[in-house]
Amino acid sequence: MKAKAKFVAESILHSYAILFFSQHSVFGALLLLVTFLSPIAGASGLIAVLLSMAISVLLNCHRESARMGIYSFNPLLFGLGLGAFYQLNAAFIVWLLVGSLLVTIISVALGAFFCRYNFPLLSFPFVIGFWLLLLSANSIYHMGLKQVNSAVLNELFAPGKDSGFNVPLLCCRFTLPHYTSLFFRALSAVIFQNSAITGFVIAAGVFIHSRIQFSLMVLSFSAACLINGVTGIYPEGISYYHLGANVMMVSGALGCFFFIPSGRTYLWSVIVIPLTFLLINGMTKVFWGFDLPILSLPFSLLTILFISFFRQRAPGGKLQLTLLQHYSPERNLYQQLTNSNRLSDLEFLKISLPFMGSWTVSQGYDGDITHRSAWGKALDFVIVDDDGKTYQLPGAEPQDFYCYNKPVLACADGTIAEVSDHIDDNPIGVINEVENWGNSIVIKHAEGLYSQVSHLKKNSAKVKRGDFVRQGDIIGHCGNSGRSPEPHLHFQLQATPYIGSTTISYPFAWYLGKNHGKNKLFSFDIPEEGTVLSPISINRSLKHAFNFHPGYTASLLAQNHNTEQLEVFIDPWNHTYILSKTTGAAAYFINNGSSFYFTSYYGNRNSLLFSFYLSAYRIVFTADPDLTITDTYPLQASFNKPVLWLHDLIAPFKQLMKLTYQGKCIANSEHIEILATQNLDVMGRNTQTMAASIQITNKVINHISIKLNGRLTEIKWASESAY
Amino acid sequence: MKPGEKLRYERPYLKKLNAGMMNKSGTPGVAKITKEIEGVPVRDLVEQYGSPLFVLSEKQIRRNYQSAVRAFQTRYPSVQFAWSYKTNYLNAVCNIFHQEGSWAEVVSGFEYRKALGNGVSGAHILFNGPAKQKKDLLLAVENNSLLHIDNLDELYLLLEVCEATGKKPRVAIRVNMDTGVYPVWDRFGFNYENNDAWSVLTKIVRSGKMQLVGLHCHIGTFMLSVEAYRIATSKMCDLAARCGKLLNNTIQYIDLGGGFPSTNTLKGAYLPGVDTVPTIDDFAEVITGTILGYGFSQEELPMLVMECGRVLIDDAGYLLGTIAANKRLSDGRPSIIVDFGVNTLFTAFWYDHLITPAQETNAPVENMAIYGPLCMNIDVIRESVNLPVMTPGDKVVVHKVGAYNMTQWMQFITTRPAIVLIGDNRQVHLVRLAETLEYLEMPEIMPSHLKLKQTD
Repeated sequence: MKAKAKFVAESILHSYAILFFSQHSVFGALLLLVTFLSPIAGASGLIAVLLSMAISVLLNCHRESARMGIYSFNPLLFGLGLGAFYQLNAAFIVWLLVGSLLVTIISVALGAFFCRYNFPLLSFPFVIGFWLLLLSANSIYHMGLKQVNSAVLNELFAPGKDSGFNVPLLCCRFTLPHYTSLFFRALSAVIFQNSAITGFVIAAGVFIHSRIQFSLMVLSFSAACLINGVTGIYPEGISYYHLGANVMMVSGALGCFFFIPSGRTYLWSVIVIPLTFLLINGMTKVFWGFDLPILSLPFSLLTILFISFFRQRAPGGKLQLTLLQHYSPERNLYQQLTNSNRLSDLEFLKISLPFMGSWTVSQGYDGDITHRSAWGKALDFVIVDDDGKTYQLPGAEPQDFYCYNKPVLACADGTIAEVSDHIDDNPIGVINEVENWGNSIVIKHAEGLYSQVSHLKKNSAKVKRGDFVRQGDIIGHCGNSGRSPEPHLHFQLQATPYIGSTTISYPFAWYLGKNHGKNKLFSFDIPEEGTVLSPISINRSLKHAFNFHPGYTASLLAQNHNTEQLEVFIDPWNHTYILSKTTGAAAYFINNGSSFYFTSYYGNRNSLLFSFYLSAYRIVFTADPDLTITDTYPLQASFNKPVLWLHDLIAPFKQLMKLTYQGKCIANSEHIEILATQNLDVMGRNTQTMAASIQITNKVINHISIKLNGRLTEIKWASESAY
Repeated sequence: MKPGEKLRYERPYLKKLNAGMMNKSGTPGVAKITKEIEGVPVRDLVEQYGSPLFVLSEKQIRRNYQSAVRAFQTRYPSVQFAWSYKTNYLNAVCNIFHQEGSWAEVVSGFEYRKALGNGVSGAHILFNGPAKQKKDLLLAVENNSLLHIDNLDELYLLLEVCEATGKKPRVAIRVNMDTGVYPVWDRFGFNYENNDAWSVLTKIVRSGKMQLVGLHCHIGTFMLSVEAYRIATSKMCDLAARCGKLLNNTIQYIDLGGGFPSTNTLKGAYLPGVDTVPTIDDFAEVITGTILGYGFSQEELPMLVMECGRVLIDDAGYLLGTIAANKRLSDGRPSIIVDFGVNTLFTAFWYDHLITPAQETNAPVENMAIYGPLCMNIDVIRESVNLPVMTPGDKVVVHKVGAYNMTQWMQFITTRPAIVLIGDNRQVHLVRLAETLEYLEMPEIMPSHLKLKQTD
């Protein structure tokens, strides 16, 4: 029951907030409130929302879309529009219900169609539905609808006329400067009002929802007025309706919602203003003939147009589309900034080092010995001792070299594509230019991704063509065959299955690199020449503790908190997440076999899951005490709201804040402790904002203590899953 | 030679002239001379710290350790070394190994406390030995150390300790087995072939009072055959696999002990050690190859623990001494008496140590015996060695004495000498003072009736 009420409340508020691309409940509530400044319109809007929700829920439409208000914001607009323009009578109620039903059906059906091409629904269903209503009302048929005041509709028909019309109910006692009043009235136009007070409340709501969107609205409003002032397109000023429902909405959509906000999107959101004018004017002319206002059609068309246009570029452009929509420009931006370096797991196949122990890169990518031109993206490995020698005295035979006859491993799972195993090892200093590659093994890991190891020892191959190998299997031994004056291992990745194919640049998923005697963890990186590399030694207890498969459940107990039930799920996109069944919060994570890390968090920040999200932000399954794991949180995880809100305003252009994670692991046989800290860096001023410790005993997490905002929380973690 | 200094006295000698072609005996030996160790002149060392004097090279210890680690880690994914304390438990030496990442392997309460004192975490101490005391077991259980059980009585004692403390210690058993090298070291641990080991493993798991985490064996010392390790490893893998399958108890580590030889030449060996002993790479190849080939999945592969001692330190130790006298034996053979005996150089019982003069000499090489300063007939350093004729006061360097001497040396007739460690940049650190009379008499208590009357 409680869950149902929560669902209904959320759906209603989201249906309102989503008019401004938001899922902010406070903003939704503010909008709901101000629609009732025009009671009939407010009521008919709410009725339309409830009807549409009832339909979508009873007929089992996509529940999450319903919850987000995606099916009901168009009926809401329809209801608001109807209420604003027609008098309340029996016919009004009939057509409100009929129209809402139609707009809901169009929303669901058209939404599915648009979804196939990954386009947003925008306000197309509303425009279609409202047009049909207007056409019917003006037709020869008897609809029974009576217009409230033709001046409202006139306003819509005439883009160049600012009527200054006020809804009679509201008398504004303050006299605002013209442009300020126009700005607020323009915002109120989105819900078919013409009221500075409504606009002011909406503006406040937008600001609470997003500082970036607010700044863009101010920018586009000013720019539109300026452009009109210079060009004089609309001698009587731009219509407040088109300013609000088209110009400012397009700027918001392009400037920060469908694109990651940046200086470039701000620029585009200004460039798009004259285009919007062109569409408004042109379409008004076309639809004039049918007696139809163009409503927010220019906004919808331009948005789709720009999304489609920018999708056609080659990948890697600086202006980035929002791939994962968080319904908050700030969140989209911060998540994008942190994830651009963090989500390599989704981009690359995991390639491990092809050897055990510490080896040194003797020739890196585009090395000047043999890694040239199309064959440049290759690595040569040798073993070097503390004195910098690769051999023990006398060094006259291949056997004297440390790397000779050492096992060579499969760098990832795959099928053996090619093996050559018959070429003699060279004496030291001699190269075999006839059989350049020497004994080599090529493994196919995926379509278009092969790895090759070369200069292997004669007759050392342990595999034959067609064999399946797993990452870490021994496939051969390092040797000195082919173009190899001294034993070394040549490693490359390539797109084609032949020995000696041209190379492609591809990173190792993870390795320890030794610089100045200290180990550093590298992830999805390409080692440079001279680096001493070694694989991460996996601590099995630690790995086991974070091995959360779908179905894993745990209870979290803490003082002054409800006991939280956690369960691990997998979503339709094959992403794993921990759901707090108690609070509804969800934390998405990736476990790639050598590390566990969270990618995003949704929901209530008071949830104990949030504490876990912060403290276990990145765990590498190694108990090397010298290793400090560092990472960056998305800024929305910060608790310092005043500073963050200020920062939001400049965030699209420059990042002055950084929220970093540092983790260290202390292992003492069966007992492992992870010490994590969070630091907030504001323009070089560093403050510690969190200190946490995760205790692992007997391969399972059993305790987390976290000090956040000066408050210490002790969480007992009880896992019920035994496996 | 400084200006004004007199030429060195060289005593006259007679030598048979060998004219003509070289014969099967080769040329008369040309003695190697060791004037300095790691760049520090021997003469300076003796002048400053006295004679005899043990010298250790930090660089060589680290080099040995790293090459051993390299040999194993480039062949096996999970390797851990534990420094065998009994080989050389000088704290400075232990800490070099601990700095390099080595755990500690101890065989008595005394060594256990030494390791704790060196700052080794309790969880990183392997406790071996056939006669562990109850109080030591208690200490080890409290510190969460790894206990390698040697006999049933120890197991019963440990069960008592478990009940008393309520703790579940992490244990392994020592296994002995026939590896084709005789005599079999069957006095330590439980036998593999007669199933003693298996029945004890079952007892431990069934008791439910301790965690069985490892298996330990140590098949011998100064092993000259890698084949023995192949057999031992394979038998250990068999036990580990059975523990996993039949007892549902995953074995986390296999400890193959030590026993790798240094390049010293054993007494009675026909060829010098440098030419005959297998290298650590040979052992690593066999041991890791056997485990990897046994059929464990990558996730099940146990950690490999090695307790190498001798091979990591023997060639990093030197003993400097001084010629006390020349003497001709009754059969006419020459001999020299040096200032260190078998009390100091204990390993002289086992090895024909390489001994080199520490100063330039043109003197002819003669076959001679080297005796220590003790008035005991057994005090023989070398029975027969070819060395240039030297005069009293000359210095000699004994090589490869790093293992066991600094732990098995005896205070007998003379006091034990100082030990220095040569660190980076030829820096010499005194790591153990030469013993003094006061030091030795400190624990003595004189009953009052035995005190001699003071005569004024």
